[in-house]
Amino acid sequence: MSTKAKNEPAVAYSELAIRNNLSIVEYCRTSVAAVSGCTAGVLGLTGLYGALFFIVAVTGFWLMLLFKAGIDSWRKFFISRKSLLINGIFGHFFTYILCWTFIYGMVHVY
Amino acid sequence: MSASFIHRSILTVGFLSLFHAAYSAAQHRSYLRLNELDFSHLPLDIFIQALVSLFIIMYGVLQVVGDFKEIKASAELENKSWETFRNIPSFYIFCHRGGKSSIQSTKSSLEEIE
Repeated sequence: MSTKAKNEPAVAYSELAIRNNLSIVEYCRTSVAAVSGCTAGVLGLTGLYGALFFIVAVTGFWLMLLFKAGIDSWRKFFISRKSLLINGIFGHFFTYILCWTFIYGMVHVY
Repeated sequence: MSASFIHRSILTVGFLSLFHAAYSAAQHRSYLRLNELDFSHLPLDIFIQALVSLFIIMYGVLQVVGDFKEIKASAELENKSWETFRNIPSFYIFCHRGGKSSIQSTKSSLEEIE
């Protein structure tokens, strides 16, 4: 990566556009965490299956995001696609657990 | 606007479908409870409906939030020419020697002198 950066000319990024894109992604990921938590609650998942479902849902959303940005042209909109998947994943996991337990209690316990 | 309306309705359909799946699952649970059966797994149709509505909601959210902006600083400037940047209206000069040498103004100024 560093050798690649040496060969390429330096690119100036617009901070406003980066911030705009990341806030869009953050909004989407928060809602996806909440909705996938609700789905896991409806499905009645327990234990590690819930965590696995979270990973599957987040990865699926990541693929849809890349597909929207364009599989070839995502570099136009994001600097790194790995950080789109990894950033703040534990924070979203707690949102997920909140919705998961709430909906599980609503549907399956009461 | 109409595209946004379509995406909003996709999102609404997804939420309604998820709610319907949740309601069906709750009814299935109460049916099992009344018949004193044990819960092993959900019926397949509720399972598939919940998963499909999750993906519909994901798609809807992704479309509703709007488009990304290009992060390169030069992206907005690429379709503007150098003349657009050099154009500074405050420095326009209308009173210069070109006015004196053009034919029409010469005629009118001669008439004024006469």
